[in-house]
Amino acid sequence: MNDLHARPPGFFSAALIVARKDLRIEGRTKETLSATVLFALVELVVFGFAFDLDTIRRMGPGKVVPGLLWMTLAFSAIVGFTRSFRLERSREALIAVALAPIDRGAVYVGKWIANFALLLMLEAVLLPLTALFFDVNIVDVALPLALVVLLHTVGLAALGTLFAAVVSRLGRGEALLATLLLPAATPLFLSAVHCTASVLEATPLSADRKWLLLALGLDVLYVLVAILIFDAILEE
Amino acid sequence: MRRGYDVFMAVLFAATVALMPVALYLIFVNAPEEKVMGAVQKIFYFHVPIAAVTFLSVFVLLAGATGYLWTRRAGWDHLSIASAEVGLVFCTLVLITGPIWAKPAWGVWWTWEAKLTTTLILWLLLAGILLSRAYASAPEQGARVAAVLGVVAALDVPIVYKAVDWWRGNHPIVFGAGKTNPLAPGMLSALLVSMLVFVLLYALLLAARMRLAALEDRLAALEDAAWRSQS
Repeated sequence: MNDLHARPPGFFSAALIVARKDLRIEGRTKETLSATVLFALVELVVFGFAFDLDTIRRMGPGKVVPGLLWMTLAFSAIVGFTRSFRLERSREALIAVALAPIDRGAVYVGKWIANFALLLMLEAVLLPLTALFFDVNIVDVALPLALVVLLHTVGLAALGTLFAAVVSRLGRGEALLATLLLPAATPLFLSAVHCTASVLEATPLSADRKWLLLALGLDVLYVLVAILIFDAILEE
Repeated sequence: MRRGYDVFMAVLFAATVALMPVALYLIFVNAPEEKVMGAVQKIFYFHVPIAAVTFLSVFVLLAGATGYLWTRRAGWDHLSIASAEVGLVFCTLVLITGPIWAKPAWGVWWTWEAKLTTTLILWLLLAGILLSRAYASAPEQGARVAAVLGVVAALDVPIVYKAVDWWRGNHPIVFGAGKTNPLAPGMLSALLVSMLVFVLLYALLLAARMRLAALEDRLAALEDAAWRSQS
């Protein structure tokens, strides 16, 4: 990034430049992470009042907690996604990004990587807190749980980044993003909640092979479609 | 071009209007009354064709949206606008006619079964597309945004169906009963003619909405030209 490139960077290095830029800005301001983590914490407290802990205990860890975890994550992620294009919106920086001699799909991939990384950091805080507040043991199932969360975060970040670009282009905020993203991500959330529930109930992951394949298919589909059509969003 | 369109619309309109009373006759007079459900079952002849047309409009939306993203031709965008709007109208009708039948037949207005849930999600997706288009600052921006959302929505709908189906487990399928004891002959003809009428009505509304979109584009261009020549 420091040296002047004689020729424009290729697809992946361009994507990494965009991702590094976003993550560096986040590293210095910590704006998005503090907003999403705090919001997630507030949501957990609200859910703590809404759902009685004794009832949750009686029903077992697979009944309410997975839905609650993914709801919290979805709403916080929406706050994060909306911010991911906010920088580019001020002072028309998106035009400069669009004018850069790189593939526009690479801009998308860079944003997606940055959003994915931010979601992982959010989850690193959110998962232990959920386990703590709702009395669920996640230590014994840490590995399969991490796999499930990782697999669904890829798709969530992919669709969220694409729709955040649309919403930012329209000059709108979280309300429109939630309206667009939540119904479109239905299959991903169903899969996420189902797989998380089986993991928390200590069912082996092999029993959920079809759900995991669905999630993997959605990850690939969302990323590929987004790379192909992202161009239309950046266009002026 | 315009003459051809007028002739096409006139024929389509005449066929739709002529077949509507035929369908109504077949449904309410000719078809036998269902033994258990009685007159309530008649809504089946409306609900099923409307639902079929709703999901047909998803394919039309996919065609319009991808066509526009590929070629950036206004005609594809008109198809995308028309299929989203007309599709939303039919989707709304599905969600109204369904519960009217479900309450006497199942005892509840709503269940979170795969077909119902998918229809509701489709309604939300279509509404989101129209909302986003309305928010756009320029028509071209609206067209691009609607095309992007349209592609994702249309690809999503079958996956939503499958996922909700898995989620609910093997829910006893109410309509599956029709497979073992097929419809009486009078019922089948009523359903088929009603299906044809709704497909024709859909085509008519789609063509009219596309024409309206083209006229809106032309009006905007003329206003633009007039404004330019004045200043």
